[in-house]
Amino acid sequence: MSEQATTTQLAVIGGGPGGYASAFLAADLGMKVALVDGEVNPGGICLYRGCIPSKALLHAARVLSEAKEAAHFGIEFQQPKIDVNRLRAWKDEVIGKLTGGLGQISKQRKVEYIRGKASLLDAKTISIVSDGSAERRVNFEHAILATGSFPAMLPGLPQSPRIIDSTGALDLADVPRTMLVVGGGYIGLELGTVYAALGTQVEVVEMLDGLLPGADRDLVAPLAKRIEKIFHKVLLNTKVAEMKEGKSGIQVKFEGAADGAEHVYERVLVSVGRKPKSGIEGLEKTRVEKDARGFIKINPQRRTAEPTIYAIGDVAGEPMLAHKASHEGRTAVEAIHGKKVAFEPRAIPAVVFTDPEVAWCGLTETQAAQENRPVKVARFPWGASGRATTLDRNDGVTKLVIDPESERVLGVGITGIGAGDLIAEGVLAVEMAALASDVALTIHPHPTLSETLMEAAEVFYGQATDIYRPRKS
Amino acid sequence: MSTEFRLPELGENIEKGDLLKVLVSVGDEISKDQPVIELETEKATLEVPSSVGGKVESVNVKAGEQVKVGQVILTVTDGDQAGARPATETKSRKTKASTNGTEPEAGSLEPETGGRPSALTTAAETSRSAEEPLAAPGGDAEFRLPELGENIEKGDLLKVLVAVGDLIRKEQPVVELETEKATLEVPSSVAGRVKEIHVKAGEKVKVGQLILTVEGDAAAGPAKAGADAAHSSQSAASSAPAQPSAEAGEKPASPLSATTVPEVPSAERAGRGGTVTVPPIPAEEVPRALAAEPAIKTLVPAAPSVRRMARELGVDIAQVTGTGPAGRISAEDVKSHVRGLSQGAGTRAAGATMPMPDFTRWGAVEREPMRAVRRSTAARMAHAWTTIPHVTQHDKADITQLEQFRKQYSTKAEARGAKPTVTAFALKVAASALKLFPKFAASIDPAREEILYKKYFHIGVAVDTDRGLLVPVIRDVDRKNILQLSIELAEAAEKARTRKLAPEDMEGGVFTITNLGGIGGTAFTPIVNWPEVAILGMSRSSLQPVYIDNQFQPRLMLPLSLSYDHRLIDGADAARFLRWVAEALEQLLLVSFEG
Repeated sequence: MSEQATTTQLAVIGGGPGGYASAFLAADLGMKVALVDGEVNPGGICLYRGCIPSKALLHAARVLSEAKEAAHFGIEFQQPKIDVNRLRAWKDEVIGKLTGGLGQISKQRKVEYIRGKASLLDAKTISIVSDGSAERRVNFEHAILATGSFPAMLPGLPQSPRIIDSTGALDLADVPRTMLVVGGGYIGLELGTVYAALGTQVEVVEMLDGLLPGADRDLVAPLAKRIEKIFHKVLLNTKVAEMKEGKSGIQVKFEGAADGAEHVYERVLVSVGRKPKSGIEGLEKTRVEKDARGFIKINPQRRTAEPTIYAIGDVAGEPMLAHKASHEGRTAVEAIHGKKVAFEPRAIPAVVFTDPEVAWCGLTETQAAQENRPVKVARFPWGASGRATTLDRNDGVTKLVIDPESERVLGVGITGIGAGDLIAEGVLAVEMAALASDVALTIHPHPTLSETLMEAAEVFYGQATDIYRPRKS
Repeated sequence: MSTEFRLPELGENIEKGDLLKVLVSVGDEISKDQPVIELETEKATLEVPSSVGGKVESVNVKAGEQVKVGQVILTVTDGDQAGARPATETKSRKTKASTNGTEPEAGSLEPETGGRPSALTTAAETSRSAEEPLAAPGGDAEFRLPELGENIEKGDLLKVLVAVGDLIRKEQPVVELETEKATLEVPSSVAGRVKEIHVKAGEKVKVGQLILTVEGDAAAGPAKAGADAAHSSQSAASSAPAQPSAEAGEKPASPLSATTVPEVPSAERAGRGGTVTVPPIPAEEVPRALAAEPAIKTLVPAAPSVRRMARELGVDIAQVTGTGPAGRISAEDVKSHVRGLSQGAGTRAAGATMPMPDFTRWGAVEREPMRAVRRSTAARMAHAWTTIPHVTQHDKADITQLEQFRKQYSTKAEARGAKPTVTAFALKVAASALKLFPKFAASIDPAREEILYKKYFHIGVAVDTDRGLLVPVIRDVDRKNILQLSIELAEAAEKARTRKLAPEDMEGGVFTITNLGGIGGTAFTPIVNWPEVAILGMSRSSLQPVYIDNQFQPRLMLPLSLSYDHRLIDGADAARFLRWVAEALEQLLLVSFEG
């Protein structure tokens, strides 16, 4: 006879932002919930080795660059002394504080947090093993798979401690003298920014012809300009042809625009995307299906082909974003709770936490062009923003993508410092089906960067206060 | 001088704890960092080290008490208080980390050697042996009625398809269930030998109810599982479709054979005497493709809260007309859409708000707005149907003579511009019948609990038009002859078809005639045209042998169907009324004789 199985109404596998949001809501709705994760506390990639540590380090980077740039208005600091050990410890404290808080909230909500590795025995049972303790089984009425994703690696790379992924970069073992970032996507640019600020000579190589593939070019432009200044080199239209471990570092051969010579880097950060962590053991014993890319197939309620099992977050499809995962988790729990709900957001904000930040939501210009959809774009350059000028950061733009007929705001894009926070208003506008006039007629506080949204809407009508740009008739 | 040791901060949000034990007593010499109390907090049990050193002068707390951060725990003399306060927090944290491995504070983070959390690593990263418990002999497994799909919560158990002792496999149908929607065979989600059956035919079973207990479930040993599969294909051959031979012959050595029994091929599911074995379906379809990201193109302008409300009400938000700026849909718009639906479907708003299934799951569909006539018919019919307890009385009238007469005088009639139809004769007969049986021209006034008799004999005639059903009313039928009625009838029908009927042309009837004879049929059950209480339906007349004068004679028989409001009219009344109509059609003299 095997060990006693316990029974729960909802088993959530994976303790990231999708998983713990699900577990907490389910508990609030009165369900008996088990949350399974390998870490001491909930948090997942986002808190342990993703969003949170990277943002902590980016904050440090920002302080460094601001201190340097203060010289522009007459304030000069001495060369900063960087104690990497203390920086790392602070980052870990941030993680500890947040994950510890989650652990506590989890207890307060009477969510049973089980530390270990879960595998499915069938559509109603999971088995959890953890080091040093007996296997235990949990029977569930419903389960939510929220196992997340992991950094993709390029095939055929040599095994070397010098070649790291985002997790390794966030560990911040040291500050290398040189670093190659493979992949000009958001992870590479964010972490490249951190290391560049700490003093590393950073180069980034991107296969395509621009940084942040997928984002509108006018949003990327201010960032690209600054990246070129703070990075040692930006190699576009370039592929990595070969990597070899050498004496003093990784020898890299390029193919494309920067053909020819071999370069040597102390560290190589591979940031070429993430893959769904759908290799859950025992999944084949259920009816859960995966698509060709490994994402678990789900319906609008986030239910898999197995009626008792739901899937949310990175493992269930793109975009792989924490806030999408937690919203999905809440949808799944409400569906399990018998509510008629569906995951039907109109806009999922995307934020790149570089300096300046790039953020957008809803319809992009690129997408509109692909769909052959006529749109009007109203842009407000931050050069005309009083607040941006006082911050000495005019490198930004706010734009609205507007339906020409209904004048409805279909998408919003912002580049500039704090864009990640500012975009929230854009998301609300898109979700609420606001018209450009709604945004223009909403009083925004002065002097703030948020005014740029209002002024962009005024630009649409050719009546922006701080910029003379009459409407073309 | 004496120094106080107060309970230091213990970490995020912890403000108090239960004191389990005081580890020192008055007079003890204690050093800095020496644990002095054992405390249980929401998070963990921990020993709290002193931040001061010296001789314990007093202990201000005792076991069992609740102590708060900042509360004085003890005082010491000759305290070494240098830097005591600032050190407090970090010291306590450090100790926590060392005394309690699972303490989720700083320092307790897992070494991140593997990079990713170990719980969820892919199968490839973990040795198979970790999974071995699968192969251990399993205990009893329960099979409960799974969710069967949208809103189905229970069903009538028609048949139990297995018996105690049977070996069943996963996906094998075990019970036959009749739900509101369909009869279906419910497949088992467990495999093994049936130990107990908890339900029997005829019972109502609910989703989640225990159906079977099965011994040695999926987790049964590999050899046994393999045997099960082989067995079940034989022993269950009579009650279940034979398994594909590949499956039956699957190598029993495979440790996962029992649980990886392939999905029953769909051809197999579709077998078996008409009923179809369906797996329990999710509340909404599982798309074969990944849920797409929102395509802005198809998005409807409505706030998230409004969209959710619509979904809860079962309203397709795309069908709602928005009254806000540029067609933005408000909560009020959704509500009035529902009201519109419920008016369209009669007084039972609940019926209108029943969620529609997504038909596109089964094939292509096309939507067309309901036209005004259709909407009004829908509303009127639904209202009549839900208010009036309908009964239909059927009879036949021998119209051989009537038809002879009609033909005989048709030329004469045409000369007068008339083309008498059977309907025109029926109109006249009906008017007479209504005079004789006044209840049939009455209405019920439920509010006043009165019966309202009408002293006029306007009769509606249903006309089929390309816009739908219209019912023009012929006035004072009792005062007109059949030729006049024929002319008026033809005019009314023409007006109906050319859309020239005014609303008042369709008002004031006390009774309705509907003739489907031109199309065919032998009988039907017309719906009473409320607030009337009866309607006469006519089907196609046909020559039938009728036994008259000791022999069968070919007679032209007209089928009549009289639907009536049973609140007012009883069966016998209806039979008498319809018999009289039939006899009058047979012998038109009755109209002037009695009517």
